[in-house]
Amino acid sequence: MSHPVAARRPPSTFEPMSMNQRRKDLVQKFAALGSLLVLMIVFSITSQAFFSVGNGMTVALQVTSIAYLGIGATCVIITGGIDLSVGSILALSGVVAALAVKAGVPVPPAMLLGLLTGAACGLVNGFFIARLRLPPFIATLGMMLVARGLALQITDAKAIGGLGDSFAELGNGALWRVVKVGADGFPDVVFRGIPYPVLVMVVLAIAVSIMLNRTTLGRHIYAVGSNAEAARLSGVNVARVTMFVYVLSGALAGLTGCVLMSRLVTAQPSEGVMYELDAIAAAVIGGTSLSGGIGSISGTGIGAFVIGILRNGLNMAGVSSFIQQIIIGLVILLTVWVDRLRNRR
Amino acid sequence: MSAISSPSLLEHIPGAGTQPDSELLSLHDVTMVFPGVVALDAVGFSLRRGEVHAVCGENGAGKSTLMKVLSGQYQPASGTILYKGRPRRFASSLEAQRDGIAMIHQELNLVPHLTVAENVYLAREPRLWGFIDKARMQRDSQRCLDRLGLAVRPDAIVGQLSVAQQQMVEIAKALSLNAEVLIMDEPTSSLTDAETAQLFKVIRELRQAGVGIIYISHRLDEMAQIVDRVTVLRDGRYICTERFADTSVDEIVSHMVGRALKDKFPPRSSVPCDEILLSVQGLARGSRLGPVSFELRRGEILGFAGLMGAGRTEVARAIFGADPVDAGVLRMGGAALAIRSPVDAITHGIAYLSEDRKGQGLAVNMSVAQNITMARMSAVSNRCGFIRPAAEQAVAQRFIAELDIRTPSAQQVARLLSGGNQQKVAIAKWLFRESRVIFFDEPTRGIDVGAKFAIYQLMDALAAQGIGVVMISSELPEILGMTDRIAVFHEGRIAAMLDTRSTTQEEVMHVASGRRPAAAVHL
Repeated sequence: MSHPVAARRPPSTFEPMSMNQRRKDLVQKFAALGSLLVLMIVFSITSQAFFSVGNGMTVALQVTSIAYLGIGATCVIITGGIDLSVGSILALSGVVAALAVKAGVPVPPAMLLGLLTGAACGLVNGFFIARLRLPPFIATLGMMLVARGLALQITDAKAIGGLGDSFAELGNGALWRVVKVGADGFPDVVFRGIPYPVLVMVVLAIAVSIMLNRTTLGRHIYAVGSNAEAARLSGVNVARVTMFVYVLSGALAGLTGCVLMSRLVTAQPSEGVMYELDAIAAAVIGGTSLSGGIGSISGTGIGAFVIGILRNGLNMAGVSSFIQQIIIGLVILLTVWVDRLRNRR
Repeated sequence: MSAISSPSLLEHIPGAGTQPDSELLSLHDVTMVFPGVVALDAVGFSLRRGEVHAVCGENGAGKSTLMKVLSGQYQPASGTILYKGRPRRFASSLEAQRDGIAMIHQELNLVPHLTVAENVYLAREPRLWGFIDKARMQRDSQRCLDRLGLAVRPDAIVGQLSVAQQQMVEIAKALSLNAEVLIMDEPTSSLTDAETAQLFKVIRELRQAGVGIIYISHRLDEMAQIVDRVTVLRDGRYICTERFADTSVDEIVSHMVGRALKDKFPPRSSVPCDEILLSVQGLARGSRLGPVSFELRRGEILGFAGLMGAGRTEVARAIFGADPVDAGVLRMGGAALAIRSPVDAITHGIAYLSEDRKGQGLAVNMSVAQNITMARMSAVSNRCGFIRPAAEQAVAQRFIAELDIRTPSAQQVARLLSGGNQQKVAIAKWLFRESRVIFFDEPTRGIDVGAKFAIYQLMDALAAQGIGVVMISSELPEILGMTDRIAVFHEGRIAAMLDTRSTTQEEVMHVASGRRPAAAVHL
């Protein structure tokens, strides 16, 4: 996964030796963060309803899917790989969990089953990539079709409804929700609380961030993406590290499926189409390099929010979904181009 | 394409544009700087029409950089390039090529999946009504191939040709450009004697036709057949230019080295003892490698000499578990080792310092500290796998000080270090691992002279500590200057095990090329 062409580029201009890498990373973070702030200011001006706690929660909730998948995608892309199958895996996992509930399994183990289904799909991805040495693009493209087909097959392509309140809890419940019974006898929502999906997102982001930055496993993930052969010759078990990131990505897709279906209280086998591209876009906007070795969870978080806020703000401004697609596409091109400029030496 | 030159620059060069025809291409005070290294320091050079001009120098003397400046791949930091009497600055090798300066690379620049004709005319295919004129392409490339006496069809796939044939295709490509300046970087390194003779015939024809040829080669002996003048570079500096007839190979070598050979290597302080550290018996893979058997003693520096592809690197990688083997027994301190992967080898204290530093040795986008601890993360992390940043920093600082690694900080990205310092980082990785046997594969390739000396000192110090050192090198002087014994490889086997004190460069060379069985063969 090294790039000899890039390495041979004549160094006609030189980076000053004193240029601190950390400072550069910080500049990158600020660039992405800055664009996020600009977006928020613009949308606050164009729509009064945009800048409010309520809408903030809505955006956070909408972003959760991209964020879960983006966290997995970041780990995969840091190793120099790609995972195209997460959109299909989340559909398969969601319907597996729903079918289990329908079959009488209590909700928590049913959802665990969904999550494990995702992890199993990731394991298969990892097996094809690390052991059989298929290119990640091909292996996960195959899984994308297989998982989607499976999801449609086992449900007869029909949505599964009537899953009950407890199934809806994970996606719609909230922590510290304060409700008072008003004078008229109807409940009044004082504080909407922190939705469970948002809570899960924060916990996941912190945990994976610590894993990447503070543990040997995380270091090995960067090492594999930076130079797989050097890592192998240093005694890093490259196959195991590769397996791990795909299993993680699959498991997070499984989680996304459960949360998403819970929010809708319906399991849709056609849910999550193209979500993998949103996840990859979030990682890339956040500065993760597709050639591997570079990336961070905080960056991906910012990337996910850039996409989420764009969608939300444009919706509120009454921009059609077609124009939204165009704008998001252009934003991806722009941020990655800026990233290129920054990395040119 | 006409020359893009600033008039102000022309004024500073008396007679620019009216120079005699004989002066084809010249360089004045060209300086080229890479991060941490001055590759060329105010170098001058001139090439006449119809001349073969050799450029000599050790590895890292700046020959390749000079050639890349001449052929437009690098833009020098300062200095002037005069081509046909006019100051030029080539923005790219393509621009230089269009103006008649062609380079034949040491590393082949061919597209393996295309045919010979398609490669020869790549990016300048003859066209007819907007489509590629295949017939003409075939015909014209056939003419180039004929001129070289090369029995290869223009529609042969390049990837299926031998390396020597590919080299000749590169030369055919340069011929097809009708180049006025031809730069040849080690053109004979993979050619047989007959092919070399054919190439020299072509070079003489080109010289007759007025082409200026810049010729780089390590094979000084064969230069006498074709070279008119020779320029010597050393440590990125211009040393001298002389007519080849007026000088001798010995004189050129002394210019290249610039000092007596003994000063290039530190005195050996280590003494090998009799205790056998690593014993290798019957290591083999297929019919190409082995069986290889040898013993490495505690405190010894054992040299692996031989030609490219003779099996030196392959044996080291096989022992290290990086490549599979079919047969062979490894023993360390009497106990047999089962090594299936680098992890096993590292566990047993065997380390391999790759010849391809950037490709396989370092993760160049990671920091110095991260590279140093990569092979032994367990020592800087707690039981749950959490890294202790303070411990890691301390380890990095210790090795930066011990090995005198020149870096602004332990957090510096390895990519930004000079070659010599990168090599020290790679060595630090294995020292931190407390290795007992270290294979150094071409440890001084592409690093400057001062850093080389430091690496030699380090190897000696390691041997003095009782570490078994294996030094794989293509540079015979350093093999002879640093080792206790030399295993000379030929076609996948150890053809002779020589005592360094009683052998000569000639003897090693002869054994390596399989021409003469050595007197002292003991396996």
